[in-house]
Amino acid sequence: MTTAPVYAEDVPVLAQERIAQDVYLLTVSAETAGAPGQFYLLRAWDRDPLLSRPLSLYTATDTTVSFLYQVRGRGTALLSRCEPGDRLTLLGPLGHGFRLADLGGRVAIVTGGIGIAPMRALAEQLLPQHVTLIAGFRSTPFALQDFERLGVHALVATEDGCAGTRGLCTDVFDPEQFDSVATCGPAPMMARVAALCAAAHVPCQVSLEARMACGVGACLVCACATLQGNRRVCTDGPVFDAREVVWHA
Amino acid sequence: MPETILCGVRLKNPVIAASGTFGFAAEYAQLFDVGRLGAICTKGLTLRPRQGNSGVRVWETTGGILNSVGLQNPGIPAFLEQELPRMRTLGTVIIANVGGADQAEFVEGVRLLSDADGIDIIELNISCPNVERGGATFSKTCESARAVVAAVRPVCHRPLMVKLSPDAEDIVSVARACEEAGADALSLVNSFRGMAIDIRARRPVFDNVTAGLAGPCIKPIALRMVWEVAHAVHIPVVGIGGISTWEDAAEFLLAGATAIGVGTATLVKPTAMLDIIDGLERFGAAALAPL
Repeated sequence: MTTAPVYAEDVPVLAQERIAQDVYLLTVSAETAGAPGQFYLLRAWDRDPLLSRPLSLYTATDTTVSFLYQVRGRGTALLSRCEPGDRLTLLGPLGHGFRLADLGGRVAIVTGGIGIAPMRALAEQLLPQHVTLIAGFRSTPFALQDFERLGVHALVATEDGCAGTRGLCTDVFDPEQFDSVATCGPAPMMARVAALCAAAHVPCQVSLEARMACGVGACLVCACATLQGNRRVCTDGPVFDAREVVWHA
Repeated sequence: MPETILCGVRLKNPVIAASGTFGFAAEYAQLFDVGRLGAICTKGLTLRPRQGNSGVRVWETTGGILNSVGLQNPGIPAFLEQELPRMRTLGTVIIANVGGADQAEFVEGVRLLSDADGIDIIELNISCPNVERGGATFSKTCESARAVVAAVRPVCHRPLMVKLSPDAEDIVSVARACEEAGADALSLVNSFRGMAIDIRARRPVFDNVTAGLAGPCIKPIALRMVWEVAHAVHIPVVGIGGISTWEDAAEFLLAGATAIGVGTATLVKPTAMLDIIDGLERFGAAALAPL
């Protein structure tokens, strides 16, 4: 399911909530909700920084779209200062999201840190009793209650051991327990998940992140290496079959 | 907006989607009526397909963007078969931007594009800063620029526009050399070679070390170069370099450009070129006559 993207200025901010250290939930008014795994380009400033920021869809209603994001630099810092009533510019929904038809049986959603962001909308589309969220965090977990509310079982790993198992999400992920996998997080983590799934012959979809400019497939700055050569994260992805992606050491 | 004539080709307005920022137009056709543009310039094409550069390809800097795409494209035969038929239906002038690693690749690429129906102008890209061989090295000196333009001229049956690098030793002399070798028009500037360093990783951001700088930060330098070149040659000049608003575009037209190219601004705002067309229209043709 792909909705044609819309470019809209003066989009009202409805809510901005800080839900963890440097992690925010932004809700805006939008009538074009994307599919799970799709993303939007956002900007809340005029010319500086020049580029908009790509954020994946967290949740949507008929009239709103929400984004869960981490402050990483100047753009996301500026976004985090938006308050209800402020206006921002939105382009989306963009890209190809998760292929729901290929996420059957017992589904593992494996995430690292803010990689949990594209997964809430996905979990909503799956049967909660068949979904296990395996979420890794550096320290205090966030967003878990949004998944538990759906009835999704969650396994948690934290690097500092403050919650769940001490370690990485890949330490508690056993692909043999699942029929299909969706993953998003830091590249080394996704590479590890992809390798574990390949060894267990479990299909895996990865949601990649890249520095982007146009977001619509024109400028080719968000290339990722695949078995078919360089492909565009923004339009050929951001979700790819893990077996197609060439992971760099 | 009155029509613009660019080396014999009628443009409905002087605003051109610059090469490399507009793909093959289909990407933006879903967002606005790209038929309103004066012309659309394709992504840089080469005879053989190219995968482009590895590693980071874009880096923001104050007022600009460094890019290192490296002429990724499907190759001219695939372009002619898969992209051109769609582009021909868009209702505007199509400019094919062609690059090459060496003179032979330029000649063969221009020959194929020149023989194809539906291409109105050929833009010879002798100024890409992001490829190891060919690229900007061709527009570095008068001798190399003259040689490649003279080599493609006999096989080019379309208007031939040559895109110049701002990193030329002397851009005015290179412009004159291209004119003497048979160019019908010049476009300038391509991006400037720049670089960025990841201070924590202690290494250059780009695998190629250098990358092409574009965006508002280059505008005053590009404008100066367009002014100098437009006053030195007798063929039309297309001004490119950090044009973001209609006022920027007006400056380039006043400096002597016949038309203008918009690149980075489209990445900032997809419909930036429509704003520029509307702004120029309101300002009026008389006010845009060269100084």
